[in-house]
Amino acid sequence: MCILNCELKVASYDIVFQEIPGEVTLALNLSGCPCHCPGCHSPHLADDIGEVLDEELLDGLIARYKGLITCVAFMGGDAEPDEVARLAAYIKQLPITNHQSPIKTAWYSGRQQAPFPLGEGGGEASCPFDYIKLGPYIESLGGLKSPTTNQRLYKRVGDAWEDITSSFWKKTFE
Amino acid sequence: MNYNTYIMETYIIKRDGKKELFTIDKIKNAISKAFLAVGAFATEETLGAILSHLRVRNEATVEEIQNQVEVALMAEGYYQVAKAFILYRQGHSEDRDTQRRLDFMMNYVQASNAAEGSKFDANANVEHKNIATLIGELPKQGFIRLNRRLLTERIKQMYGKELSDRYMSLLNQHFIYKNDETNLANYCASITMYPWLIGGTKSIGGNATPPRNLKSFCGGFINMVFMVSSMLSGACATPEFLMYMNYFIEQEYGADYFKRADEVVDLGLKRRTIDNIICDFFQQVVYSLNQPSGARNYQSVFWNISYYDRYYFESLFGNFYFPNGEQPHWDSLNWLQRRFMRWFNEERTRSVLTFPVETMALLAENGDIKDKEYADFTAEMYAAGHSFFTYVSDNADSLSSCCRLRNEITDNGFSYTLGAGGVSTGSKSVLTINLNRAIQYAVRNNIPYQAYVEDIVDLMHKVQMAYNENLKNLQEKGMLPLFDAGYINIGRQYLTIGVNGLVEAAEFLGLEIKDSPEYAHFVQEVLGIIEKKNKEYRTKDVMFNCEMIPAENVGVKHAKWDREDGYVVPRDCYNSYFYVVEDTSLNVLDKFRLHGKQYIEHLTGGSALHCNLEEHLSKEQYRQLLRVAAIEGCNYFTFNIPNTICNDCGHIDKRYLKECPHCHSKNVDYLTRVIGYMKRVSNFSEARQKEAAQRYYAEKTKAPKC
Repeated sequence: MCILNCELKVASYDIVFQEIPGEVTLALNLSGCPCHCPGCHSPHLADDIGEVLDEELLDGLIARYKGLITCVAFMGGDAEPDEVARLAAYIKQLPITNHQSPIKTAWYSGRQQAPFPLGEGGGEASCPFDYIKLGPYIESLGGLKSPTTNQRLYKRVGDAWEDITSSFWKKTFE
Repeated sequence: MNYNTYIMETYIIKRDGKKELFTIDKIKNAISKAFLAVGAFATEETLGAILSHLRVRNEATVEEIQNQVEVALMAEGYYQVAKAFILYRQGHSEDRDTQRRLDFMMNYVQASNAAEGSKFDANANVEHKNIATLIGELPKQGFIRLNRRLLTERIKQMYGKELSDRYMSLLNQHFIYKNDETNLANYCASITMYPWLIGGTKSIGGNATPPRNLKSFCGGFINMVFMVSSMLSGACATPEFLMYMNYFIEQEYGADYFKRADEVVDLGLKRRTIDNIICDFFQQVVYSLNQPSGARNYQSVFWNISYYDRYYFESLFGNFYFPNGEQPHWDSLNWLQRRFMRWFNEERTRSVLTFPVETMALLAENGDIKDKEYADFTAEMYAAGHSFFTYVSDNADSLSSCCRLRNEITDNGFSYTLGAGGVSTGSKSVLTINLNRAIQYAVRNNIPYQAYVEDIVDLMHKVQMAYNENLKNLQEKGMLPLFDAGYINIGRQYLTIGVNGLVEAAEFLGLEIKDSPEYAHFVQEVLGIIEKKNKEYRTKDVMFNCEMIPAENVGVKHAKWDREDGYVVPRDCYNSYFYVVEDTSLNVLDKFRLHGKQYIEHLTGGSALHCNLEEHLSKEQYRQLLRVAAIEGCNYFTFNIPNTICNDCGHIDKRYLKECPHCHSKNVDYLTRVIGYMKRVSNFSEARQKEAAQRYYAEKTKAPKC
């Protein structure tokens, strides 16, 4: 846990479908991104803009879309990974209303490596995320939709992490 | 006063609107000709006496001056000459009318597409313009005059001349709009096919005996829909189509046919299976009904069908008996519904098939769809790229059978002559209020807008009552066999109050168009006024409903007229939704909420959320959005992802692409839903093309890449 100035700020939010396959996702676009990837689609997110993201703001947004969203995704926040994890854990412990499934959590990180262990044994206890995207944006390789991308999206299946990046490349209809 | 002193620098306005320096010679010439026409001659002195009556103000119109000449001739006692002059004017007026028709014809011939060329009612479902569609366009102006005359005569008789005059004044000033004035028939209907099943088409003027087998059912169905559609100006819904077809398939191949769909039953060389035969009949019916129809000026019919989940099926057809005493079977119908939907989805990659417009009726319970199997199937079909409507209700007490029909089912009974009561509905006539103009006018003139809207809405109800009397009159004279034969139940038909410009009016009042107590209050207040009047005017024979009209045509006209008259007009086509169609700040869930229970409460006739997306979602995501609809109480919606059609190789792809994936041509067009049916964007009228381009298709990827 950080002690000083560990706060995250939300520049904007949106409901997205592409970022996390199969989910209706509330995406929180976090500012103060330290990555500065060349060719970044949202360079304004490198600035210190937006509202402070705390439990109160999260409660409000989640209440607004209660029962409607299936996932909350933290887009960025690489300057304060512990705070992202803490807020994800907060979402995980929210009470579940009847007929509704628990809200999943996702983190879109620009890091090459997760700040906590993935792979074997990387279960719920050590990590509060159901999805995690890793890897900086490299223009020549493209984003997740490009088959040459360096970025990877992992989905937690039980105790293990499955690489589901290839689901972005599907061209035809099921 | 000497006219010469007036005419020195006087300009007149010609018929084409151009200004011209006034000269007395043209008038002299016309008067002289009128004298000659009655065998007389006008001396300079006579002419001077007549002309001295004229008062030609600057920028007077030609018509004004000619009116003065008529009066002057009579004032001087030249009555025969005045008559000749009037006849001479009339002759020229007729010439000009013919010239206008000729000009219209030439414009139509040269217009970029049929919708753009159509002057009076561009909502034409016409793919290509040709001599047949042109023949349909020419009498439209005549129909408008005829319909107005019919209606105003009746209004005068029922409510007096003052109200009739006020109606015409509100119509001419575009406070209200009479939909489908270019046709004489009542608007649209969801029919019951039972009378056809037991009596054939004789009762509606045909000569076909009742269908006896699958083949005569499918062939006869096509003819029957063409006949019914020629007596309606709008859509014809046949919500029982698949249920009846299922019955005939069962008669032919047994009640368990769907379990043996791969069985070869054709003794011919093709060795077709039951499934092949069924799909061949699908093809026959669907392709035939998408053909341009001769009786409808080359428009195809507007044909709608419905699918039901198990609960809807039981509610609507639980008491239904076919003439042989059998009841419809859910298991086989369930299979046939799925088969048709999958077949139609696939067929649409081969050909642009607009009809049928399909509606899936699902029952909701506890924030989800009750029939989980059908919810999954619905999501699966959306994910497979199929485009159709879904109707979600907490109670199987209402049904929507096309983009404009929603009815409360008060009668789920069954009758041995009329069939299932629940499917019968429709709208006899639609009269629409332009809320943006009405509210702006009231505010500008310091009138409380609620009172002003109520005043107009009250008049609209009287006008609709007058329309209803005319319709009853036609029926009494035997002109409406669809009603007499029981295809349409006149007691289940609505008089519809249409709404347009609601969002634009709210914007004018300074409201932000988003889910907020203020906006919700405004919507409920305005639509509540209409609902109050709907109840007030309801009798045991007459029902009213209120709908947000799909304004492909009217929305463009209202925006144009209002802008010309100096009203605040934020876009070229007024919305058909509760949100601003081009607003990028509203997400998909916000839009469902804005078409949710709070907003649609008083919209008894319905409105459909067209959820525009740039890309298809996955089955799980569509499934979640069905839950969203159930939670928010959004009862009618569709997902709209433009399909790509290649102009070079003809390939149709269900995705929204910039380039043809088949031949890589960039010369592509898009198919999208406008008012319920899929159509090529390039076949829309120009203004509606603008709206379609402006539409925001929610991108799936909007979050940062890093």
